[in-house]
Amino acid sequence: MPELTYREAVRDAMSEAMRRDEDVFVMGEDIAEMGGSMGVTQGMLDEFGPDRVRNTPISEMAIVGAGIGAAVAGMRPIVEIMYQDFMTLAMEQLVQQAAKHRYMSGGQIKVPLTLRTQGGAGWSPGAQHAQQLEAWFVHVPGIKVVFASTPADARGLLWSSIYDDNPVVFFEHRTLYNLKGDVPDEIEGIEIGKARVHREGEDLTVVATGRMVHEALEAAEEAESEGISVEVVDPRTLLPLDEEAIVGSVKKTNRCVVAHEAVVRMGFGAEIAAVVQHGAFDWLDAPVERVGATFTPIPFAPVMEQYVIPHAEDVLAAVKRTVGKG
Amino acid sequence: MSSQVTLPRLGQGMESGTIVRWLKAEGDAVEKGEVLYELDTEKATQEVEADASGTLLKILAQEGEEIDVGTAIAVIGEPGEEYSPPEPEDSGDQEEQPAAVEEPAQQEEAAAPQPEAAKRAENGGRVKASPLARRIARERGIDLASVHGTGPEGRIVAEDVERAEKTAAPAAAPAPPAGEVEVIPLTGIRKAIARRMTEAWEAPVFQIAMSADMTAAIRLREALVARMREGEAKPTYSDILTKLSAAALMRHRAVNALFAGDEIHLLPTANIGIAVAVPNGLVVPVQRSCETKTIQELAEERADLVARARDGKLRQEELEGGTFTISNLGMYGVERFVAVLNPPQAAILAVGAIEERPVVRAGDVVPLPLMELTLTCDHRSIDGATASEFLRTVKQFLEEPGLAL
Repeated sequence: MPELTYREAVRDAMSEAMRRDEDVFVMGEDIAEMGGSMGVTQGMLDEFGPDRVRNTPISEMAIVGAGIGAAVAGMRPIVEIMYQDFMTLAMEQLVQQAAKHRYMSGGQIKVPLTLRTQGGAGWSPGAQHAQQLEAWFVHVPGIKVVFASTPADARGLLWSSIYDDNPVVFFEHRTLYNLKGDVPDEIEGIEIGKARVHREGEDLTVVATGRMVHEALEAAEEAESEGISVEVVDPRTLLPLDEEAIVGSVKKTNRCVVAHEAVVRMGFGAEIAAVVQHGAFDWLDAPVERVGATFTPIPFAPVMEQYVIPHAEDVLAAVKRTVGKG
Repeated sequence: MSSQVTLPRLGQGMESGTIVRWLKAEGDAVEKGEVLYELDTEKATQEVEADASGTLLKILAQEGEEIDVGTAIAVIGEPGEEYSPPEPEDSGDQEEQPAAVEEPAQQEEAAAPQPEAAKRAENGGRVKASPLARRIARERGIDLASVHGTGPEGRIVAEDVERAEKTAAPAAAPAPPAGEVEVIPLTGIRKAIARRMTEAWEAPVFQIAMSADMTAAIRLREALVARMREGEAKPTYSDILTKLSAAALMRHRAVNALFAGDEIHLLPTANIGIAVAVPNGLVVPVQRSCETKTIQELAEERADLVARARDGKLRQEELEGGTFTISNLGMYGVERFVAVLNPPQAAILAVGAIEERPVVRAGDVVPLPLMELTLTCDHRSIDGATASEFLRTVKQFLEEPGLAL
């Protein structure tokens, strides 16, 4: 089983799809010669040429719009938006066009667009380059939202996203790019809508996404040494959401903590808490706790940035409060 | 903002503790990590540190008081700050009472340990419990109002319900008195008494009572005692009663009966059981064919049975075959009592003490030695009229023993 970094896993899925399928191509800002600001598309220009690895002007609305056009015309475009913070500029195209075409055409038009983007704090990129905005997109019917936390999940889920006939927003986390992990010899698609249980436990379920999956696993190790058995579940795809897996896990453990890097208020964790309280009400032995960033722009100062975003110790504190040992 | 100090769980299985000594007084400044009080648990006495900084606004739990884990014991906050009483969010439609520090009455109320029900009554009856705890309680038929919550803010969590279920059975029994409980395993005889008396409780019984003027019976006994030979047993009122009851039973055969499911068996002889107290319980040896025996013969037999009963030397057959039972507590000064039926017998006679009582005779109040007779009857075998006729005969025989001839 080969080991890839998260960055290589993303690249591998794109390159393999492009090798097999003429309809797949990538475009975005500085993705050709430069290989993308995060280096994800490095080397792809050499292999596939400028027609299939296309630099674009600095206009997110235009990039996404062009991607939608190509998708409607029968291609399977992969559009890279350099920072998810910049997705705000492409919201009209994504929310009004990409998400609506299939529905409004009575199924005559498909939009097999994959929109890759990255983000996240932890390296001091400042308030405009560090946000986690996934909650904006899961609120929109008509698109799918994926957030992979490991190399294997990134490759398998990106593969499924490319070959999904609906627009998929594919979130990558900046601080995970160098994370190494085993991936299958051959690329296999991972079903969109299936959660992954990273660690089984008895006392409490932590539902975590992106970077917080790893923070939750670290917290779970620490909790274990204090006699608390923590299960860690990564939904992997936020929309559609594997409610069955989450509710099933909480029915087993009777307690739930939700952890994401985005701000807590109105965050994705609120939806998880709602799903859990409704699906496992009679199994809950404690209120569902949420862990996330404080409700503030992400500071540039590294110390303040670390203060604002959640870490393993925050997950551990929530775990302890929830089991009544805080 | 003020924060409540609650009694912490300092070890597995700790349910309560006693504050030995407060090391801070109300109004003192307290630093987080500073020793606040000494706590005595079942296992040890230890110092407990404050978990917040500020001013000790109020001590809710007094020294020497035993307190459950999770109970509020003190309030720490800013000087002069108002603070909320324990579980303020549960106040329901209770009167608005901002609990200022200057309101001693309310604080004492909060400090006093209260039963769970009383606490909830204050909260408008709402019980704070997790959904899982509620489901477990619902499924196992446990009343959450009786469960003590140890979760955050006193919430009842699943563990509390499970603990309550384990202790529920003993809790249903009367609370043991303070001090050590002496446990006495049931001996064979007590098991038999328990089983037989519980069986008896299933019978539909009724009681009737009469008083007998014992003037003649006393004279009779005196005469018998006067004629007693050396070494003979001394006749007692019980012996007279046995003899006269036997005679009455022969005249009212319906009472000399056994209930046998779908039959009633009327017996030809009066085999009378006499209840005898023995060191570890009660036995009822049977005197057979009492109607054929003299009082003196009955006295001899009775003396032998009682002596052997107290020595535990009765044979099984001497305890069987009774058709009627007499239980006499007169020697203890009992005026009247109700005996429990001795199934399958149709009736049992409870006999009280002979006491001088004022009685109206021909318009005059005269003192007479009266004895109360209470007959417990199995209504499956006999009815009130039958029982009354029998008891009236016993009374008449006691008042004029010659009629029994």
